[in-house]
Amino acid sequence: MGPITANDNPAMIDLRNLSRWYGRFQALREVSFQLAPGRVGLLGPNGAGKSTLLKILLGLLPPSSGSGRVLGHVLGEDSAALRRTIGYMPESDALVPGLRGAEYVALAGELYGMPRREAQRRAHEVLTYLELEEARYRRLEEYSTGMKQRLKLAQALVHDPPMLLLDEPTSGLDPAGREAMLRLLLTLGREHGKAMLLSTHLLGDVECVCDTVLILHQGRLLLQGSVAELCRRRHDRYRLQIQGDATTFREELRLEGVRILHDNGRGELRVVVPPGWATRTFFALADNHRLLLRGIQPDDEDLEELFHRVLNEEGRHGRESEPGRDA
Amino acid sequence: MGESRNQAATPELLHYRPWRGAFRPPIASVWPIARVALMSLFRKWMFWVIYVLGLLIFLLFFFGQYLLSWAQTQAGETEVQLGGWGRTNPRQLIQLFRGLLKLDGGPQTYHNFFSYQGYIVMIVLALAGSILIGNDLRFGSLPFYLSKPLSRWHYLLGKGLAVAVFINLMTTVPALLLYAQWGLLESWDYFYERFDLLLGILGYGAVLTVTLTLLLLATATWLRRTVPLIMTWTTLFFFFRLLASALVDGLRFSPRWRLIDLWNSTSLIGRTCLGVPPRPMAFANQPPWHEAALILGGVSLLCLIYLIRRIQAVEIVR
Repeated sequence: MGPITANDNPAMIDLRNLSRWYGRFQALREVSFQLAPGRVGLLGPNGAGKSTLLKILLGLLPPSSGSGRVLGHVLGEDSAALRRTIGYMPESDALVPGLRGAEYVALAGELYGMPRREAQRRAHEVLTYLELEEARYRRLEEYSTGMKQRLKLAQALVHDPPMLLLDEPTSGLDPAGREAMLRLLLTLGREHGKAMLLSTHLLGDVECVCDTVLILHQGRLLLQGSVAELCRRRHDRYRLQIQGDATTFREELRLEGVRILHDNGRGELRVVVPPGWATRTFFALADNHRLLLRGIQPDDEDLEELFHRVLNEEGRHGRESEPGRDA
Repeated sequence: MGESRNQAATPELLHYRPWRGAFRPPIASVWPIARVALMSLFRKWMFWVIYVLGLLIFLLFFFGQYLLSWAQTQAGETEVQLGGWGRTNPRQLIQLFRGLLKLDGGPQTYHNFFSYQGYIVMIVLALAGSILIGNDLRFGSLPFYLSKPLSRWHYLLGKGLAVAVFINLMTTVPALLLYAQWGLLESWDYFYERFDLLLGILGYGAVLTVTLTLLLLATATWLRRTVPLIMTWTTLFFFFRLLASALVDGLRFSPRWRLIDLWNSTSLIGRTCLGVPPRPMAFANQPPWHEAALILGGVSLLCLIYLIRRIQAVEIVR
């Protein structure tokens, strides 16, 4: 019998008009989405409703209205069974002082409902997989930040859940540690069939690990789509490398309707061209100004730009739809 | 070079193996929580120092009973000279000692044992409160527990079980050992004739367990750190005792003022459980035991309500 993975479930998360109120404050507004098993990034600024959504998905909070399922479990019905299918990695340290690494992970296994011996065996296995075997018997207080993050991942993985819920998994890590953690998550998702919902404010993490992204803003689902689709190469963006005094060249570009997104001052420009633009025009303009155009490459919109664009568009739509604004 | 180092630092998951097995119900999580809490406590050297102190009291009772019982079997009917005080029957002398030291397997023996042992328990609990539960709030361990498939009740039960196991290891279990020892030393009939004492020991142990467990969990959840916890327990069990004594014995206030002394209230209920005959002088200034029970019940209920509210307020996902 093969391992149960998230792929056995038709929908990893299926939410219908989910809302959550805290008194008079609405943290989530009619959120609806359906996610197939995979690696999903959850993005949103502070106060967007990410934490509330995570609480509901973990069965810690019932929705005020609406309904939903996580890996086939109806939200608000059997939260213990739901949490057993999820491995949750909290953002905070959430360590038990005085315990050793192996004890901590084994305790997590027992709390998930594993028999003690199996939890202990599995704890050693998972810690070995995560390259913490030498630190197994060290007290948790002696762990470095990177080790603590891996330890938190170990306690989420100990019962081999089909789905991981990761809250800021790279928080506090240095670049090398962050890269290692992201690669680890990618491996878990790709090679071991772990579905994951990665809540973060680091857009690069989502871009690196996830294939789908959800953007929450002010309790509403602003955007849902595949990361690849959203970051798809856009045909109106170019990265130019020029040699020579570009001052007049930039002016000329602006007159032609080209928008300069970024100028690093060392001859590299990122630009957005108007519709119907022909690439050879760059060469013609450079020639006019006696500049050498050393490079010209189509450019991508990264997730950060995407995030801000979506928020700006949302803001624009909001202003346009405000009553009385047209008047 | 740098890339290869990064790759070398990447955790290897090639041997990741799935786990297949049946999960146990959430109630099975209670014991692991209790076990880990006790383990954290047992790892502190200070605990063992105080535990050994507590053990000395038990050994005093245990060997006191044994010694007097052995001496009784060795003593003949012949009278012996007691220095310049005259002659006496050794058996009567031993009986006198038993009566004076209350090492006669009677209700007062167990009540005294609980009282002396209780002081040690108090000190350990005040020191251990932060380890048993306070640290969970102080270092953010609660999200670890509560994000698992168990409810807040299971968590509280686990922590309560840890405290209860500890209290009973220090009080009820040794008291039961003393009961068994007396029966084995004296006569098997003791077990039948004084079965009420067995129930009394269990009852007194239960009162101490419930009251002290809830009080410790609530105060440790509230104060978290060891020093404030010790100060609060000192106030509750030492300062209030002095205050109650000053009000009732000194200023002749109503004996009901003794109800602010929680330790006195547990002792009163303990006396009732064990059937200790009242001492006229001491009990003239004591409130009735059912009022003490009411106060302890009220305090326990308040602690429970506070605990539930406090644990519910914990943010598991921040």
